[in-house]
Amino acid sequence: MLLARRNLLQDKTRLALSIGGVALAVMLILLLNGFLAGMNRQITSYLTYSPGSLIVAQKGVSNLLGATSLLPPGTAKDVEAVDGVTKAIPILSQFVILDLHGKKQPAYLVGYDPERGGGPWEITAGREPESDSEVVLDRVLAQRHDLKTGDLFEIMGQDFTIVGLSDGMTSWMTSFFFIRKTAAERLLRAPGATSFLLVTPANGITPADLKARLDDLPGINAPTKDEMATNDLKLFAKVFSAPLRLMVGIAFLVGTMIVGLVIYTATVERQREYGVLKAIGASNRTLYRVVTAQALVASLGGSLTGVLMAYVVGQWIMSVRPQFLIVFVLRNVVWALLAGLGMTLAAALFPARTVAGLAPAEVFRK
Amino acid sequence: MIRLAFRNLFQNKIRLVISVGGVALAFLLILSLDAIFAGVERQITAYITNSGADIFVAQSGVRNMHMAASSLPASVIEDVKGVPGVEEVAPILYLTNMVVIGDERNLAYIIGLPEDAKMGTPWKVAEGRGNPREGETVIDRDIAQKSGVNLGDEVEILGRKFKVVGLSEGTASLVSSVAFVSIGDFAALRGSPDTVSFLLVKVKSGESPRTVATRIETQVDNVTVQATTDFAAQERRVVKDMSTDVINMMNLIGFFIGLAVMALTVYTATLTRRKEYGVLKALGARKGHLYRAVLAQALLSVTIGLGMGVAFTLLLSVIIPRLGLNLALEIGVPSLLKVSGVSLIIAAISAVLPIKQIAGLDPAMVFRGK
Repeated sequence: MLLARRNLLQDKTRLALSIGGVALAVMLILLLNGFLAGMNRQITSYLTYSPGSLIVAQKGVSNLLGATSLLPPGTAKDVEAVDGVTKAIPILSQFVILDLHGKKQPAYLVGYDPERGGGPWEITAGREPESDSEVVLDRVLAQRHDLKTGDLFEIMGQDFTIVGLSDGMTSWMTSFFFIRKTAAERLLRAPGATSFLLVTPANGITPADLKARLDDLPGINAPTKDEMATNDLKLFAKVFSAPLRLMVGIAFLVGTMIVGLVIYTATVERQREYGVLKAIGASNRTLYRVVTAQALVASLGGSLTGVLMAYVVGQWIMSVRPQFLIVFVLRNVVWALLAGLGMTLAAALFPARTVAGLAPAEVFRK
Repeated sequence: MIRLAFRNLFQNKIRLVISVGGVALAFLLILSLDAIFAGVERQITAYITNSGADIFVAQSGVRNMHMAASSLPASVIEDVKGVPGVEEVAPILYLTNMVVIGDERNLAYIIGLPEDAKMGTPWKVAEGRGNPREGETVIDRDIAQKSGVNLGDEVEILGRKFKVVGLSEGTASLVSSVAFVSIGDFAALRGSPDTVSFLLVKVKSGESPRTVATRIETQVDNVTVQATTDFAAQERRVVKDMSTDVINMMNLIGFFIGLAVMALTVYTATLTRRKEYGVLKALGARKGHLYRAVLAQALLSVTIGLGMGVAFTLLLSVIIPRLGLNLALEIGVPSLLKVSGVSLIIAAISAVLPIKQIAGLDPAMVFRGK
């Protein structure tokens, strides 16, 4: 073990490189997974914070963000009449593309009735819309485009006054904004239309029981909020998960290669010493232990540095680009640390093979 | 010196694989993401560019189709027909909904077409016919194949059953497809019979679409009018504006990965050859020569890595469509120029540390056995 420590500490640059290699890879894995977790949280934020536990949607529509849902006329009354329904809040929602300072910004319009709910869950400035020409905008979106309460904001050719700013509703892909339901009906030229009903079951009724009752109504289906969130995630994951996972894989491979190369070079350079050790009776196992110990130190130092770097870089990214949310979940941190360990163990295989193949007598002939 | 660089590079195979492989992976990351978004841009504008219309008329303030909603009163059709230079007007209804086949739900742009429509219809019909009548639909062939649907089978759209009478080609992307129904069915299901979503306009021969578009916008109230090419450009901008931040971030990550691998391999290659460089110095080799050898080595491996990265991405662009994913990868010249620039920067930076090392090398040391 002394030998491993000496090998590691003798060349400080090499030690820094091997720790840096693992740290870079662990940081990348953590940041990418944190980005994915943040994206998932942002996508499902409306479902997480809106009231109710079931969403009544047009038959065939099983997600909130993907498809436009239009409920058959009279559905709200039918749903309210179902035994076990305490509250059914109507919203009219639709994706729109905003043109802000020459940039296209997809945003999810939610038309709601402030007296009944379904609107913004955290207003940081101003108030909820009281008239059909008022809007509550996301704080980050407003900040990015230099908008504040009192400013005019154009939606589908109509001017709205920003009366409130809300928190926790934006992402780099889209952001939510809220107007009164009657204003949304006018904007979308769909008088009396409703996209979804946010349904709260009565005490003692489980969402599953109520779902079965609601599914019997014509022209609708009633997924639970969890089901809908899962479907939304699936839809967006289709687009973004594959490239992100590819990158996590590449980061892992590159980290393994960096550590492998550093330890390999260190071993090759000390080939003669290992040969001498073998000649005086050291078993292959002892030499493996030396190589593995070196790898493990690099792994430990690198992984911990990587976690720290990921946290610092994550905070920096979120302060520079507030539309990105990077969430570090404990499971992902453990996973990244294990990846760091896996990397070094895989990396130790290269030099171990060199050491194993070494003939003790060779060193004396050179 | 170039020969020395070659020898240094190719003598240690493991190091060569790591340096070239690492750089290739980094470039694959940058190139494939660019290619994915370029492919999505093409797929997203497929309906617009193949619609056969010269002009798109939308609700005032609506400049997009994808992720947008437009609603015009039906009376606008006659207003637009009366504008000089307009040859033909076809209304369509449009929204994003699901094509439900059994338990499978496929996200789709649903287009409601007049039965005699000459514009906005499926542009390539693989089987059956492309003009759905009442109770009928035309869906994408890939979606139909994936779900085992044939002509004559029933699918559910907007909560109602439709008989499949045609299968179209080129109408599917990674996340969605296009399905066509009759405008009458669409209006009835949507519950707003007096509105249309967009008007597709054909201009008279000799008229410029842009000029007629401006004319329509001045003569008809509450509409936004764009020539088809401009409308398609707006669609591409949605993808571009949405993806810019992500692409920049991933490019930065790719750059750092490439730089880390390259810097390390060139550094260790120089480190293990320290003695040789010392001998060369002792024999009178000038510093400039040695620097060039290190730089050439870095450039050489980055170039091979770049070639491999491009080859991997091309390979992906061939393999992915065969896996049944409706994802098109398109490698564009700007993307290639970008990675070439990045590779030069990586080579230059990664050579800095070893050059410093050589510069500080004392020729006499090598004879002392250090």
